[in-house]
Amino acid sequence: MANIFPRWSNWLPLKLLVIAAVLGGAATAGAWYYFTPKYTRVGYQPVQPVAFPHDVHVSQLGMDCRYCHSHVEVAAHSNVPTTQTCMNCHIQVQPDNPKLKPVMDSWRTGKPIEWVQIHKTPDYVYFNHSAHVNRGVSCVSCHGKVNEMPVVYHDQPHSMAWCLDCHREPEKHLRPIDQVTNLNWQPTPAEGESVEEAQLRLGLQLKKEWHVNPPDMNCAGCHR
Amino acid sequence: MSKRVLNHPPEAATGKKYWRSLGQLAETPEFRGWLEKEFPQGASEFHGGELSRRNFLQLMGASTALAGLSLGACRRPEKHLVPFSKGVEWSIPGKALFYATSMPTRQGAAPLVILTVDGRPVKVEGNPSHPAAEGRSDTWSQSSILDLYDPDRSRFFLESGKESDGDKFSKGLDLLLEKAGDGAGLAFVLDRTLSPTRERLREEILKKYPKARWCVHEPAQPEQARLAASVAFGEGMMPDLQVEKADVILALDSDFLSATGGTVRTIRKFMARRRVEGPDSKMNRLYVVEHRYSTTGGMADHRLRVQASQIAHFTVALAEQIGTLTGDPNLKPLGGPTTKFTERWIEEAAADLVAAKGRSLVIVGDHQPVAVQLLGYAINAALGNIGTTITGRRTEEKPGLTMGALAAAIREKQVQALFIVGANPMYSAPADLDWKNLQKSVPTVIRLGLYEDESSEGASWHVPLAHYLESWGDSLAADGSYTAVQPMVLPLYGGWSEIDFLARVAGLPKPAGPELVQETYMKRVGGEGATLTGTWNRFLLDGFAADTASKPEALTFNGGAAKDAIGKAAKPAAAAENTFEVVLEPCSKVDDGRFSNNGWLQELPDPISKLTWDNAAWISPVSAAKLGVTDGDVVEVSVNGRSLTIPVVRVPGTVDNSLTIALGYGRTKVGRVGIGTGVSAYPLMTTENPYFSTGASVKPTGAKYKLAITQEHGTLEGRGADLTRQANITDWQANASNGDYFKKMGMDSHIPENISLYSNPPLNEPHQWGMTVDLNSCLGCSACMLACQAENNVPIVGKEQVINGREMHWLRSDRYFASDEAGVDDPEMIIEPMLCQHCENAPCETVCPVNATVHSEDGLNVMAYNRCIGTRYCANNCPYKVRRFNFFDYHQRPLDKLYTWNLINEKGTPDTLKMRNNPNVTVRMRGVMEKCTFCVQRIQEAKIAAKVRAKDSANMLIPTDAFTVACAQACPTDAIVFGNIKDPDSKVSKMRASPRSYRLLEYLNTQPRVSYLARIRNPNLKMPGADRIGSFMSDGHDHGHGAKPAAHGTPTGGNH
Repeated sequence: MANIFPRWSNWLPLKLLVIAAVLGGAATAGAWYYFTPKYTRVGYQPVQPVAFPHDVHVSQLGMDCRYCHSHVEVAAHSNVPTTQTCMNCHIQVQPDNPKLKPVMDSWRTGKPIEWVQIHKTPDYVYFNHSAHVNRGVSCVSCHGKVNEMPVVYHDQPHSMAWCLDCHREPEKHLRPIDQVTNLNWQPTPAEGESVEEAQLRLGLQLKKEWHVNPPDMNCAGCHR
Repeated sequence: MSKRVLNHPPEAATGKKYWRSLGQLAETPEFRGWLEKEFPQGASEFHGGELSRRNFLQLMGASTALAGLSLGACRRPEKHLVPFSKGVEWSIPGKALFYATSMPTRQGAAPLVILTVDGRPVKVEGNPSHPAAEGRSDTWSQSSILDLYDPDRSRFFLESGKESDGDKFSKGLDLLLEKAGDGAGLAFVLDRTLSPTRERLREEILKKYPKARWCVHEPAQPEQARLAASVAFGEGMMPDLQVEKADVILALDSDFLSATGGTVRTIRKFMARRRVEGPDSKMNRLYVVEHRYSTTGGMADHRLRVQASQIAHFTVALAEQIGTLTGDPNLKPLGGPTTKFTERWIEEAAADLVAAKGRSLVIVGDHQPVAVQLLGYAINAALGNIGTTITGRRTEEKPGLTMGALAAAIREKQVQALFIVGANPMYSAPADLDWKNLQKSVPTVIRLGLYEDESSEGASWHVPLAHYLESWGDSLAADGSYTAVQPMVLPLYGGWSEIDFLARVAGLPKPAGPELVQETYMKRVGGEGATLTGTWNRFLLDGFAADTASKPEALTFNGGAAKDAIGKAAKPAAAAENTFEVVLEPCSKVDDGRFSNNGWLQELPDPISKLTWDNAAWISPVSAAKLGVTDGDVVEVSVNGRSLTIPVVRVPGTVDNSLTIALGYGRTKVGRVGIGTGVSAYPLMTTENPYFSTGASVKPTGAKYKLAITQEHGTLEGRGADLTRQANITDWQANASNGDYFKKMGMDSHIPENISLYSNPPLNEPHQWGMTVDLNSCLGCSACMLACQAENNVPIVGKEQVINGREMHWLRSDRYFASDEAGVDDPEMIIEPMLCQHCENAPCETVCPVNATVHSEDGLNVMAYNRCIGTRYCANNCPYKVRRFNFFDYHQRPLDKLYTWNLINEKGTPDTLKMRNNPNVTVRMRGVMEKCTFCVQRIQEAKIAAKVRAKDSANMLIPTDAFTVACAQACPTDAIVFGNIKDPDSKVSKMRASPRSYRLLEYLNTQPRVSYLARIRNPNLKMPGADRIGSFMSDGHDHGHGAKPAAHGTPTGGNH
């Protein structure tokens, strides 16, 4: 009886297996990368031209975020301070500290300091700081505890799913407006209540009172 | 339940039809192509280039393989945040600032506010506090922002064509002027502006060089109007038309409702009398006599086609008729016309004008000969209009030499140094002057120009001119008020402004700031003992000085002088049977050629002919048939020994034996955009006949030229009669109480109520956006289209792609003609702006496989570009054909390199053009669908502002009409209104409630958010043909079942 299958077909299962393994491996590798914080740059901590310690300025000296990021309540962008802002104090405070040399140079020459951008949304996303900080969303919800960072790093994923988590359940993040820039603030739990439960209780109350209703299904809320 | 049949009733074989092109009437295969597909046959194919779809796929495969090798691209590049080193006053990064300024034009200042973001001017709007603009603008000011960033603008000082600098030029100028003596050898050629500072510098220069020659060169604005006014009313007096006071207006070849012939102020005054709010509203009545359709003609209640050269005869005939009716001695006897016109037309129009004595107005076009204009004033005097609908105002303008006189001086070798400031006489001087050789014969030519163009060629010096958005200056607005011009940025290419330049010539130092303007300001506005502090900043803040509008002055008509001048004027020739007249007109887009390098204007379809990127000779379909030519056939036009070859385009409504050619094309030296567009008509222009010449012969050459005409793009299945609805005022008044009168017309009167199988989620956000478009007010000026283009970063695609039907305008202006069979040559015209209708039941949304187009809770049909994969299903399913697809990376590639392919795509847009983009709108890439978003960026900004205000309260309502969209903001006639339809106090809610409102293709149950308000015409029922005017259709499908006939019993249609 003649062979129905030619000889080379003996190797077919093995070949298929190899191809499947390669494809499967590629898919796994892709997913591995795509679904980890590496993809969303969580932990990204570039070296800045000036070693500006947020922890010293905020936690030790008690400066408010808005002293430097002065337009955060009125503009979409939260501005990086001008050299002039630094010099308001450093013209007297430690003017000879070598760490401040780039600032002094910039002040003398008028050439701006080129800070490395850490938090970046894609060009088709229009995030607005003022809409958030004026409605009880704290800096800490998106940027982490910057007041404890000697060198700032990317704390949260800033992916679309992460944005929508909060847009769908803003109560997890709402707080009284005067506590927005207080990064250490925590709700006071009632008796027998955990901090999370206290946050939920307060958040739901604020959401109801202020009619907090962020765009959750409207693409044009952020993409335009 | 009976079966629902949604077949369109067959269109009647006879009766009134609505059509866009002659091709549609004749059902040509090309038109069928446009109709049957969103994109015509082959629009989705590559052509022209060296690439077929097959080797495109091969290339794509290769590039995908290569992409896999370069894994380095996975990392995001490091980006920098660069704050100022010292803070800048008012500047908040990313937040817009508005500064008032104005665009100097030959008709005076167009008052504007400029939106700037981070120091970049981005968008032009009308100045809302200026009485001459009331926040409105026009096509030229909207598009001027693109000129500012034009990478083709002149960047260098040139000495005999070699690069130099400002200091060397200054030294050279001083050397030249040292030898100037009394200035007998100096001559200046300038554009017309109404800048008091320039006038002051002119006096300074003439004080220093008393014999210098000063000449204002405006090829598209001849001197006739000023000459006629000075004879009729005395030197220095100009008539000011009080259009809003006139009940009956007759325009004789006057396009006073257009960008080229009118101003926003006149247009608004006219439209104030055109609003029909309820059944008791009164409208003015407009008669237009013209040689081709203009936007003014489109507004007309009665329109008569008369050759431009025969307007003189028509005016005489009208004057005689009015003389007979009024017995005015100045109008009788005039010798009688030599051409016969429709006598009843003249009789009835004259009777109507006389009946409205003191409330009527006859407007003669500025281009018409002086005698015709004087006769127009005589008619107005006889009608008692002087002092009522025509008042006077003093003009400060002092006329200079004519170009003819300057040319004579150059010919006699009297001019040693010629200063050409802004103007471009090498291109636009009348042909009989032989300016080319004259300019070459002048020893020293110094040119100040925005571009290195024709007039800069061979010049001893070329000085880059600063754009008006980069310079200090001043001007007078249409109402005479003193208006500021202030810079938004430092000159991008280091140019000098006109007054900087003239100050240097006058021997003053080049000003560093606004000193020159401040000096003028103090003299004009400051008054005795005034200081700059306080009022100057107010002046810049408002953009104009309050209470400086010219006061109305009493006019006394010098009837005797006018009669003398009319008597002495040569009798114009009567129309000859077999020859043509040639009319030269400034283009509605590129004017006299000055905006020729503006891509937005080049790609904007002409309001009537829908021609882009070229000019062509407009010809009536009858004359074209006689010559055996059709659109794009090249003809040779010869008149008075001069000739040119130009393609023709058939435009219904053009009078027979007349060719109209737009000026401003066929530039020989201009930037990348303007080069190779159209044919220059200046070779036919002479000093004697700057406007029309008669006795032309026209011969077909047999050659063909490809024209990019958009009139058949986006046609809607022949549903024209359903889309544009109109009635005459008597019919409408009889039916106004019936709110369904316009809603149940055409197809909508035939079909049962809409039923939907699918229930949409409820839209219960407090803001629900909607728009109304009033067809009664829409002129077709297209300011909305350019405002949209500027606001939303809409790219231009180039002539070839327009021919392929790929133009990107989110908002288009559809021009429909309406006529019965006999009237195809002389149809009515209706303009209908068409944009995304934001259907609540949107057909596009249901077919998108990736949910890239969805509905928002505030009623927008939104487009998420980053989701779109470019299937174009949505465009195929859109009954309004308003979706646009990016076939190429228009923002990344130069238009002439769209088809050149290599693996590493050649990319790159000049940085200046990137700077122009609105930072609040995504710049779309290839393969993405886009469309009108109702300016969602403005909506979001308003919403966010409301949230910021609300803080810890619950009140997030946006105040009524707190903002509007770009098209509505630009619209000079308020035809487009946008707002919250859930707010009963908003303007849009009130417009939607009008009995004139209807929605497009209601029977498809798309539930559009855009409503249209039907056009109402106000015919004089005694006029010939009045029964046809404004009637919807005369085939029995017209008014909804049960509509009442007009109360007075006049016929509403022909064939009942």
